[in-house]
Amino acid sequence: MLSESARMTTAQEASYRIQYPNSKRRAAKVIALDRTSAKIVDEVSRLPWNGASFFTSLSFSAKGSPGAEGGEALQAWLNDLAGHAMNLVAEVASSDFVVVITAAGEDARAVSIIADACKLHNKSLVGLVVPRDGASEEAVGESLNHLRPYTRMLVVASGVDYVEAMLTALRA
Amino acid sequence: MLKPEQNDYVTQTGPGTPMGELFRCYWIPALLSEELPENDCPPVRVKLLSERLLAFRDSEGRLGLIDEFCAHRGVSLWFGRNEDCGLRCPYHGWKFDVTGQCVEVPSEPAESGYAKKIKLKSYPLIEKGGVLWTYMGDPAKQPAEPEFEFCTVPLNQTFSSKRLQENNWLQAMEGGIDSSHVSWLHRGDLSSDPLFKGAAGNKYNMADLSPVFEVVESDGGLLIGARRNAEDDQYYWRITPWVMPTYTGVPPRGDHPIHGHFWIPIDDHNCWAWSYDYHPTRPLSDTEVQAMRDGKGIHVKYVPGTYIPLANKTNDYLMNREAQKAGRTYSGVEGIGMQDASLQESMGPICDRTKENLVGTDNGVIMARHRLMRAAKALAEKGVIPPGVNPEHHKVRQAALLLKRDVHFKDGAKEALVAKKGVRQTSV
Ligand code: FES
Ligand SMILES: [Fe+2]
Repeated sequence: MLSESARMTTAQEASYRIQYPNSKRRAAKVIALDRTSAKIVDEVSRLPWNGASFFTSLSFSAKGSPGAEGGEALQAWLNDLAGHAMNLVAEVASSDFVVVITAAGEDARAVSIIADACKLHNKSLVGLVVPRDGASEEAVGESLNHLRPYTRMLVVASGVDYVEAMLTALRA
Repeated sequence: MLKPEQNDYVTQTGPGTPMGELFRCYWIPALLSEELPENDCPPVRVKLLSERLLAFRDSEGRLGLIDEFCAHRGVSLWFGRNEDCGLRCPYHGWKFDVTGQCVEVPSEPAESGYAKKIKLKSYPLIEKGGVLWTYMGDPAKQPAEPEFEFCTVPLNQTFSSKRLQENNWLQAMEGGIDSSHVSWLHRGDLSSDPLFKGAAGNKYNMADLSPVFEVVESDGGLLIGARRNAEDDQYYWRITPWVMPTYTGVPPRGDHPIHGHFWIPIDDHNCWAWSYDYHPTRPLSDTEVQAMRDGKGIHVKYVPGTYIPLANKTNDYLMNREAQKAGRTYSGVEGIGMQDASLQESMGPICDRTKENLVGTDNGVIMARHRLMRAAKALAEKGVIPPGVNPEHHKVRQAALLLKRDVHFKDGAKEALVAKKGVRQTSV
């Protein structure tokens, strides 16, 4: 008699795999860390997405950061394309995962504030470094250094088109 | 997740498909040298990239890979007689050489030149590192020979095996890039397998079960770094190279031989999982070779006389629930190779990627698919030669090392990631 493993792996049995949805919409927060990546985020945000929200900059007042000692005092906002300022901590709290994007060699230090918010709410943070015309290996290395301490997954994107490919793959 | 049309695009490798054309830009492993051990030995049926072929070694040791079927009336030349510098069809005696050229049509006078007009499709077959490689693309664009380190070291330093895996090549290859499964599926084997145990680095694997990942492009493909915390402001890095379209290297452990895989499509529902194991600077010991033959490490035990794994889908992979419960194996299946294969076959003949839910740590897999599709498109539309064709791209090495926390692994491991003759692998 044929084993069940042998039977279930046939093309014919593949047609009996049930087709009910196995996931719900996820809320991805995609945040640009600098001006160059803001342009990329702006462009990508115009495509149709499931539950993703896109932010082109971060602004904050006071010292410290949320989650850090004395960080309660910090007020940080994510600015979206329509010009709305959303509370960073609230956005992260309502997210399923957070993606930060920086262009190679740009100042990516804002990541630490976002990372603190992620830590506070236990959300995973993916970092994407996108290449920039003329950016050196050192510039890429510098960007990686900014992001490395905070991200669970850090990627040097092959090109701007990778941002879209990755977000699509993650069902953002 | 992929869209249905993307899933078709990236998994189909038959003639005329974009990914099939991509594969036809490279030298790919076709057979083990041991399958054609001597001149005039029996021919071997080979199916690659959805083409049925026949390999043979003629009376003078020349290697050929030709259309399996006789040009006369289509019988399989596997029944043929391999003699006097050619393969003779046993039906009516037509004879072919290693290039597929018909050299004799007994019913026609030799002077008629009839035989000269008959030629079977053939592909070059070369021997390197105990492996017979073929190139199935345009003869005018045939690249230089492969230079992967395992096939350029002396033969006593290298060992390769292959096993049948009954699913599409891509889901198998993705397993080689997906470093995050190792802490789960293979955790039982780190301390027990003779080809892994005892390495100083193993303690970091066991102590930190949630590694953090970095993915960067290399000239030929990708470098996937997994890092774990180590002492003194350092990280323990395990770096996996992927060379397009299908070569992966498992980061080394201690002074054990280093290993990795190729996944070569047979057709869209089957592939050969190739496993190489070599040491850059010393011969493999008898104990190591014996362990490899016995199916340890990444190799498998076979059904005798075949390249079919002994634990396979017809016997439910010899599932052992007791070992699973006791934690000797994590999934209940024994051996690293079959732990991977059993799960990958269970995905179905072609994994339906429209239903998957990837997470951030799957970025290695996401980027590999992206690069494959991009390269296939550039090839189809502009004739761009894909990454990994240039033999310089083959000279990468997997590495396992400790680096200061603020060092980018691509810089810190720069030397370690290059294959250099006479230089030992970088490994802890
Ligand atoms: S947990 Fe990854 S496939 Fe099930
Ligand atoms: Fe594995």
